[in-house]
Amino acid sequence: MNQLLMNNQVMIYLLMEVIVSVMLLIALYWAIKMLISWDFGSFSTAQYRLEKRSYLVSTILLFSFVVKFFLLIYFVFTIDSISILIPGAMCAAGVVSANDYGMQLLLTKLLILFFMLLWMSINSYDMRAKNYPLFRFKQVIFLIIFMMVAIEGYLDIEYFTHIDIRQPVSCCSTLYGQLEGSNPLPFGLDIRNLMILFYMIYTLLMVTLWYKYRIVTIVLAVLFIFISYYGVVYLFGTYVYRLPTHKCPFCMMQREYYFIGYLIWGTLFIGSYQAIISSFINLYTKSDILYNERRAMVLLSIFVAVCSSYVALYYLQNGVFL
Amino acid sequence: MRSSPFLYFLLLGIARQKGKHIGVVSISLVVLFLLSSVLFISSSLHHTISSQLESEPDFVVQRIRGGVRVDAPVEWIDKLVDIYGTKSVTPRVYGRYALSPKHEWALVVGVDFTDEQSHKGLEKLIGDTNLKQFLKSDQMIVGQGVARYLKSHFYSDSYSFMTPEGAFKKVDIFKELSDSSSLISNNMMIMPIDLAREVLGVDDESVTDIALSVPNDDEWSSIEDKIESLYYDIRVITKTDVKRIYENLYNYKGGLFLVLFLIAIVTFSLILYQRYAMVYSTERREIGLLRALGWSISDVLRLKFLETLVVVVISFVVGVAMAYIYVFVLGAPLLVDIFLGGDNLSHRIQLLPVVDLSVLSSIFLLYAVPFVASVLIPVWRVAVTDPKEAML
Amino acid sequence: MMSPIIVVERLYRKFTLGVESITVLEDIDLTIDRGECIVLKGISGSGKTTLLSIMAGLDKPTEGNVIIDSESIAKLPDLHISKFRAKKIGMIFQHFNLLEHLSVWDNVLVPLVPMGIDMDRAREMIESSLALANISHKSDTLASRLSGGEKQRVAIARALVSNPEIILCDEPTANLDLGNSVKFIEILQKLHSLGKTIVVATHDPLFDNLPFESRVIPMANGKIETDI
Repeated sequence: MNQLLMNNQVMIYLLMEVIVSVMLLIALYWAIKMLISWDFGSFSTAQYRLEKRSYLVSTILLFSFVVKFFLLIYFVFTIDSISILIPGAMCAAGVVSANDYGMQLLLTKLLILFFMLLWMSINSYDMRAKNYPLFRFKQVIFLIIFMMVAIEGYLDIEYFTHIDIRQPVSCCSTLYGQLEGSNPLPFGLDIRNLMILFYMIYTLLMVTLWYKYRIVTIVLAVLFIFISYYGVVYLFGTYVYRLPTHKCPFCMMQREYYFIGYLIWGTLFIGSYQAIISSFINLYTKSDILYNERRAMVLLSIFVAVCSSYVALYYLQNGVFL
Repeated sequence: MRSSPFLYFLLLGIARQKGKHIGVVSISLVVLFLLSSVLFISSSLHHTISSQLESEPDFVVQRIRGGVRVDAPVEWIDKLVDIYGTKSVTPRVYGRYALSPKHEWALVVGVDFTDEQSHKGLEKLIGDTNLKQFLKSDQMIVGQGVARYLKSHFYSDSYSFMTPEGAFKKVDIFKELSDSSSLISNNMMIMPIDLAREVLGVDDESVTDIALSVPNDDEWSSIEDKIESLYYDIRVITKTDVKRIYENLYNYKGGLFLVLFLIAIVTFSLILYQRYAMVYSTERREIGLLRALGWSISDVLRLKFLETLVVVVISFVVGVAMAYIYVFVLGAPLLVDIFLGGDNLSHRIQLLPVVDLSVLSSIFLLYAVPFVASVLIPVWRVAVTDPKEAML
Repeated sequence: MMSPIIVVERLYRKFTLGVESITVLEDIDLTIDRGECIVLKGISGSGKTTLLSIMAGLDKPTEGNVIIDSESIAKLPDLHISKFRAKKIGMIFQHFNLLEHLSVWDNVLVPLVPMGIDMDRAREMIESSLALANISHKSDTLASRLSGGEKQRVAIARALVSNPEIILCDEPTANLDLGNSVKFIEILQKLHSLGKTIVVATHDPLFDNLPFESRVIPMANGKIETDI
């Protein structure tokens, strides 16, 4: 019995995951039933009953989304607090990398939130239309969500039971540091080019969102997430920590940095998700009714502003860059 | 806010129908109170212990025979001093002593008052003490728990130890330690090292263990290796090891409570489900009416969920406040003893108010999520009431 | 005044209990013009209440169509039909159906709540509605303390508060004495003069000869007997 499992927060986290999974299982039963029997044109009582059931599914999904959203934050908090139990770990970065499952778990969580947000946007469009045009599509997305939640559950168990508290882990400086001159940045970029790319994509994204070039927006948004990850870890983060060698995506979520990490990662992900989702839906339904594009623009701008301000502040205070 | 008819209607409904929610709120308060008290106590103890552990020596070197600690030879001290990177190598003499008549265990701690101390906590004590007065005769400084025990057994200013050789050694009580160090020092009896040697039967060539500090964190693992390679029967316990042991112990106890809580939560959920299913079934006519008057299923869902949220938030605030008062103002009688465990002298400690986001969010999650989950299906069931019900 | 506001086409409503099937409405065809007053007359079991429910969107037909103000409502999803009902239809029920634990004012507020208007606007609408139904003087009284006639007037105020075009009444005088029934008809007359479309399902003979232009449609066994 892994000692970690007895930690208060880990237990609470796992319990919450179980509750959400149980609720989603109930929703799954009905989602499958609806996928099979849904016939909007029908006047039968069975159909009307299904229409009522669809509210149960959407309520459960909304509930799951809200809980999972808070659980992601709670999860990061929790693994940060157990870093004391694992030799060598000084923040969540070390704990996440304690075994292979850690990073996979985190990525799965981010994907699940994306698909849930997608589902909710599709649902709101579906409800506003008068004949549930996206109904079947919605249920398919739900099945994808459920599968991912199942995978997440599996990863949860594997991750927590395979953290060997006797095995020391590397802390963020080794994980993200530049060892022996190897370049961690993708496509062989250097920091300067990464920054140029970062701001360029951001500007392009603002343009494509404003003028509603949907496909380009989706591609750019995905690219932006990718580039921003590297940007935050390898550049902006160092300005948050005021230390050119401190490269870590997690430390900025700690109290000493005023939890700014939550704002930075939050605006990046939610903004990009909104951009992708609203473009996707408008593309798919050939319509123009969602206004999430504006919200996406605002969020992404906040993200870029916050990151840039750390650099600007440092420069203004010290006259040089790190 | 008041300009929203929805909010007005929501609050109106709750105010007029308090009776429906009273039962649930009462049970919630009990659950929240217990849960919060447990979590408050444990996190407070956790913080206090962690901060006190900070003043533990970096390394403690012991001699092991047969998996058990035995006294180490004094020569080891020189060997340790020779290792580059170690500082303030201090021999320690201490041990458990069974106070008669009831055989309560106290910790006799010998301190070399002339030498540099590796234990920062003891440093503080020594700093505050008038050493000249203290060392004039056989005297000791005792922790709160010991003091209380001795007084209750009529040992008002001294205690006669029985040495392992069978002789009696009378030691006067110089002073008591303060409350703030109470967790760790509660059952301590601090005396000059030679006196401790006498009382515990440790000869001049031996020490119980050796404490030392290693100022440079990065060197810890290499120095640990060096020490362990000195002798076959040597063992090093680092400060992090001690922290981890305490952390695991704390987790274990906390974990036990939580498992018990799981059972409570399941019961709670079932009660909730039942109760609300009942409450809502009596509301069917009213909800049917709302639906007939133009409320959509989404509108009803929103109303009912906000209602639930209000109940949850109010219960949460009240329950947590009650627990706060119980734990941090009243000192949590009964519960705190369960936490601190049996074989120590009874503690009377001041629980420091430690209420941070992680504790509050843990309590909130553990309470609110099962609550909403149990109520979800009954809420849905009533929200999809056929408006025809209003026609009946 | 000659444009149809309610059109019912080939309407059927069947209830299936296991293997048995009961036909409550059979092949109903009906056209109601804007501003008309229709009386669906029949004994209980004739299907008039069911027809009224379907017109209000409270019930769904097994076959056929219902078009209200050019909108086909038979298969509208809940979100839409509810909004539609809130805006365009006011309902008055046989048993008044007030929320007993609330005041008159609060009762009249109910249909406005999901409409997303602000409190000040709502206040205006409630006040004018209470005045129209002659019950302003009791606006702070708890609904449980009202007499039958007063309750009916609150129900009327509630039905009118969103200024709907169509008023549907299900046996509105069944629980009223003669005096209050007459008062009720007076209010209906007022509404008729305001151009509202009124449909009343009743077996009260008082409605056979209304003091204003109206059309009586007799129903029996789920069918319309004659449509003049």
